[in-house]
Amino acid sequence: MDEALRAVADPTRRAILRLVRDGELPAGEIAGHFPGMSRPAVSQHLRVLTDAGLVDVRPDGNRRLYRWRRDGLRDAVEFLDEMWSERLARLKALAERVEWPDRTRAAHALREQRKQEHQK
Amino acid sequence: MTEPCANVVEQTVRISARPETVWRYWTDPRLICEWWGKAAELDPQPGGTFRVEMGGGPVMLGEYVQLTPFERLVFTFGWEPTDGAQLIGPGESRVEVTLMEDAGDTIMTLRHTGIPDAFAELHASGWSHFLADLATAANQATAPEFNS
Repeated sequence: MDEALRAVADPTRRAILRLVRDGELPAGEIAGHFPGMSRPAVSQHLRVLTDAGLVDVRPDGNRRLYRWRRDGLRDAVEFLDEMWSERLARLKALAERVEWPDRTRAAHALREQRKQEHQK
Repeated sequence: MTEPCANVVEQTVRISARPETVWRYWTDPRLICEWWGKAAELDPQPGGTFRVEMGGGPVMLGEYVQLTPFERLVFTFGWEPTDGAQLIGPGESRVEVTLMEDAGDTIMTLRHTGIPDAFAELHASGWSHFLADLATAANQATAPEFNS
C-alpha cells in the first residue's frame, strides 16, 4: 500500500490514472497527453503505476493497452487494519522484550522463595 | 445503537508487560521509532504534535487530544498532504488507545474511527476536484496538438 500511496503522490501519475479511468488507452496516446514529457519518462510513470497495481496492462499487437485497476487503491480501512496489526505486533514484541529480564528474575526469585519455604 | 460510521478499525492485543512500559512506546519519540516510523516528533500533551514519518514517504500528522497516563490515549490521525493529495487529511480520523492492566499484563485496545473512503474511488469527493483540475491542465497543455 505504501507503494500505491507513493504512486498517487505524483501529479503526472494521477493525471494518467484519470486518463485511463474510463477506458483502455495505448501507451502512445497517453504519452500524447504530456507533450512536455519524453516517452521514456511517461513509460517510467506507467511502470510505477503498473508495479503499484493501480493499472492493468495488456499487449495488443505491438501496442500496450493500459487501464485503471478499480480495486488497485485499496480501501483505507483495509490498509489501516493491516498497518495497525503489523505495527502493534512489533510494539508488543518490544515491550515484552524490555520486561522479560525483570519477569524472569521475578519468577526465579519466587521459585527460590518457595524452595526455601519448602525446606523449612 | 448503530455505529454512525462503519469505517472503524479495532484491534486488541495482550502484552506481557506493564501498562507503564507500553505507554512509553506511544509517548517517547525514540521508542515509537522502534515500532512505527523512522522519525517522530511527539509532544505528549493535549494539543501537542504527534508526527511520525513512515519509511518510504508517508508522514502521519496528528495531535494528541487526551492523555490519561498508562490508561488512555487519544490522538488525531491523518497523512501530511503530498502534492495536494490528501488521502486522510490531518485531523480527519481519530485513534483511541486504552491500556488495561490484567494480572501484570496489559490488554491494549486500539480503535481508529472516522476513516474516510478516500482510497476506495479516485473520483470520490476529495479527489474529484484536483483530478478535474489536472485534466483541465493536461487538456490545455495538449490543446495545440488538437488544434493542429
